[in-house]
Amino acid sequence: MAEPLTINDEDFLKFREFFYRKTGILFEDSKRYFVDKRLLERMNATASENFRSYFTMLRFQTSGEELQTLINAMTVNETYFFREEYQFQCLVNSMLTEIIAHRKTEIPIRIWSVPSSSGEEPYGIAIYLLEYWPQLRNWDIEIISSDIDTSILNRARHGRYSARAVQYMPTILLNKYFHRDGEYFQINQELRDAVEFTRINVTDAAEMRTHRNFDVIFCRNLLIYFDDLSRKQTAESFYDALNPGGFICLGHSESMSRISALFRVRKFPEAIVYQKPWGMK
Amino acid sequence: MTLAVVNVSPIANKKFHSLLIKTKSEIEMALTKAASQPTTIEDERQRIRDQAGLLIALADSNPLVRRWAARDLLTYSNVSAALVERLLIETEPSVIEVILTTLTRIGDECAIEGLIRCLRTENAMLRNAAIEAMKLLPDEIAPFISHLLNDPDPDVRIFTVDVLESLRHPQVESWLIRVITEDAHLNVCGAAVDLLGEVGSECARPALLALKQRFPEEPYIQFAADLALTRIAAG
Repeated sequence: MAEPLTINDEDFLKFREFFYRKTGILFEDSKRYFVDKRLLERMNATASENFRSYFTMLRFQTSGEELQTLINAMTVNETYFFREEYQFQCLVNSMLTEIIAHRKTEIPIRIWSVPSSSGEEPYGIAIYLLEYWPQLRNWDIEIISSDIDTSILNRARHGRYSARAVQYMPTILLNKYFHRDGEYFQINQELRDAVEFTRINVTDAAEMRTHRNFDVIFCRNLLIYFDDLSRKQTAESFYDALNPGGFICLGHSESMSRISALFRVRKFPEAIVYQKPWGMK
Repeated sequence: MTLAVVNVSPIANKKFHSLLIKTKSEIEMALTKAASQPTTIEDERQRIRDQAGLLIALADSNPLVRRWAARDLLTYSNVSAALVERLLIETEPSVIEVILTTLTRIGDECAIEGLIRCLRTENAMLRNAAIEAMKLLPDEIAPFISHLLNDPDPDVRIFTVDVLESLRHPQVESWLIRVITEDAHLNVCGAAVDLLGEVGSECARPALLALKQRFPEEPYIQFAADLALTRIAAG
């Protein structure tokens, strides 16, 4: 009978270093159980004899397929209103302040939320601006949100959410911008009309050419699912989609510094974001 | 509070509508809606975007035009040589990145040889970016590794070990064992033994012990080899 699969301390350290280098995600010791559980699941699924054989496959598999599967397993793909709210705080307190300080004309400020998923992020940005950015009385803002999946875009346009999706939305805002529809929450028509949803494959350069002149891009927890080259190519397209001085916000476990050297790291009080330097074409 | 909805391309064609939002507020709301048509800006197609036009655009004075040319050349064949020539004289980092990405996507022999030429440049940014690009091409770069590990320049050998650091290829361990067995240069062996701490198996044990014998007075080699041996034993 085969011995049960195990992961010893050295295995964990070796995996942790490798995974950090590949993804920028660092697992603290307190995450040991979480990491072990998913590693053992993948070791079983790939019929690996032990950690060493699994790690060798992970490390050297030319296609990188298993690494991608493991990344998917190690990351939680869940979206809800006001997820990683500190970045919205950074938007209204820091990023937009800098953008309007440099703005010489009154053309609208453009924000791109990609992927849109079912719309929680772009609508959340709209609500945040309405509630917490007084300068909205002086500046027009366009919010564009895109996804590769047309069915999810339709859901986003519809704007109907479960209680789970709005669980972190303050009640006062929930009452203000949604109405109850049975067990669901329907976002109001005015907000639905304010966000433009478009379909895009961000790894397709020709499609990316049609999305540009943005001042802020939210691209959270998407690049982590790409292979290295697609990640780099997408980051370069984002660079050209941004106005000089424009910002890009990634997920908390993602780091642009590991993908491309084009962007400047900006440490604001609320968040670390990445910027296309002012003056760069 | 009014909600201004604009059906607009980014620069032109504005049409404003005012809508009354359900809950009134003191804030004058100005969320506007944008259409997704491409905008007309300075990089808009000034030349025919065939292969000849893109190769001319690759030398344009505007880096935005050069980036788009380098990106769009991916769809044409036999463009690696022109991209490599541009790469070696290009000074704008953003253009260098896009050219390297396109060369990596192409991955033909000419592209690989161009990346290898970058290992010899004094431009550290270009060199490091080329190393990162080479890491993404394990099958294409593999036939060149032995030759690179024999390069007379120890810096090129160290950069080659840097490439191995993230190269997903089954021969990585055997290449590293060869380095610590044969290479006379301390720093080249130091780079290789560091990496063996991660990827080494029992196969590397004799070479690691022999390395310690070859450099008995070098504390870093002793430390790194012992660490690698410990990890191999634990694995």
